[in-house]
Amino acid sequence: MTTDSLMMDEASSVLAGVDLLRIVRINEEIKRVVGVSFKINIMALNAIFLAKRAGTAARGFGVLSNELRVFSQDLRTSMEALTGLIYGCVNAVSVGLQDMRYARLLDEASALASDASVLAVLRRRQAQNAVHAATLSSLRGKLKRALEDAFQLVELGGVLAKSAKIEAAYGQAFAGALAQVSGEFDHVVEEIRDSLESLRRSAFFTANRG
Amino acid sequence: MKTTKTIFQQGNHKWVAIVRDPAKPNFIVDTNEYLITHGGKGLILDPGGAEIFPAVFSALSAEFDPTSLVGIFASHQDPDICSSLALWLEFNPGMRCYVSWLWSGFIPHFGGTAETFVAIPDEGQDISLEGLMLQAVPAHYLHSSGNFNLYDKIAKVLFSGDVGAALLPAGEDGLFVENFDRHIRHAEGFHRRWMGSNEAKRRWCERVSKMDIDMLCPQHGAIYRGADVARFINWFDELQVGIV
Repeated sequence: MTTDSLMMDEASSVLAGVDLLRIVRINEEIKRVVGVSFKINIMALNAIFLAKRAGTAARGFGVLSNELRVFSQDLRTSMEALTGLIYGCVNAVSVGLQDMRYARLLDEASALASDASVLAVLRRRQAQNAVHAATLSSLRGKLKRALEDAFQLVELGGVLAKSAKIEAAYGQAFAGALAQVSGEFDHVVEEIRDSLESLRRSAFFTANRG
Repeated sequence: MKTTKTIFQQGNHKWVAIVRDPAKPNFIVDTNEYLITHGGKGLILDPGGAEIFPAVFSALSAEFDPTSLVGIFASHQDPDICSSLALWLEFNPGMRCYVSWLWSGFIPHFGGTAETFVAIPDEGQDISLEGLMLQAVPAHYLHSSGNFNLYDKIAKVLFSGDVGAALLPAGEDGLFVENFDRHIRHAEGFHRRWMGSNEAKRRWCERVSKMDIDMLCPQHGAIYRGADVARFINWFDELQVGIV
């Protein structure tokens, strides 16, 4: 094996290891978002009961609370899809790491042996590696798009939370309680927005892969 | 790169030992691989770990066309035995891997498909290599709980896996045992610790002492020849094993 190809192999292996670490971090953030979306669901349920008690003055707030509940369920579905893609990425990066190891060993074998069959196997292996790399690249793109979709969903959640804040002002005797609940909605949705914003900036998507 | 030594030849029937790699890092245990060829086809015995594949492959390919390998015999499941499996399969995906039924669900973690594995029953079985009948001989608990040796009655060679293994210091790592008393000191600790059952050891000694063996070939260390074969079996029979 040449020094250059050995260095490239090591660099690719390090990059794949870093990618695995980034995927783990993305997954942890997704788990956090799932936890928060569950919190919104409970909050929205409480808000619906509160709006019912407040009567006609909080009808708009009740409609928005119901929408926020739907939003939390949609967000969970979206996070499930992201988790599926994360699993696919972990698998593809692991396959890539194994590819690199086998390619390195076959490369070493071809450098030591004058047998033609090892070169043929090495070429076949490199072609398979290229297919696996393309699979990872495609999954990376899908994950990025799914993350963008989730981000758009959260923007909608933000609009709903802010509208609930406005509606709370019309809650007459319940205005204070409704304002507190809508403020919590807004805070939680912002928390999710920040999480997804950090995921969009993850080096897993942005790093230069030459 | 490892070196090869033909230890038996009769026409196209050969046993080749693939041994000692000066370039091997010290933290990886040294292993012996064996190639049996007959009728243009080959069977590799305990082909070794993935990290030593380049050294084993290059040595083997100098002697034999690797695409003509039709089988792998794995004495047991350890990584130094056959974690290179996936790499060998690259040369002939139709290659079969003979291993104890006990490990036939575990070894696939090293590679292969459902069609790759031939599960050897506890009592052993015959394995044909282009008409040459080889015999998988039970050696359970020596050291693995599902463990086989391979006997070639034509060559009178017994591949004994970890039985007979020795961890040899530099300078005393010749291919053959030349001084039994001096050599066996390097085998004693290994056998006491790695071999788990005195009863299993007793049965193995009884079984192989009835066989006509010219060479006993372990996976680590040196090959026992001639009178040293019986000497080893007697020594092993007396040794108390399963001791830390």
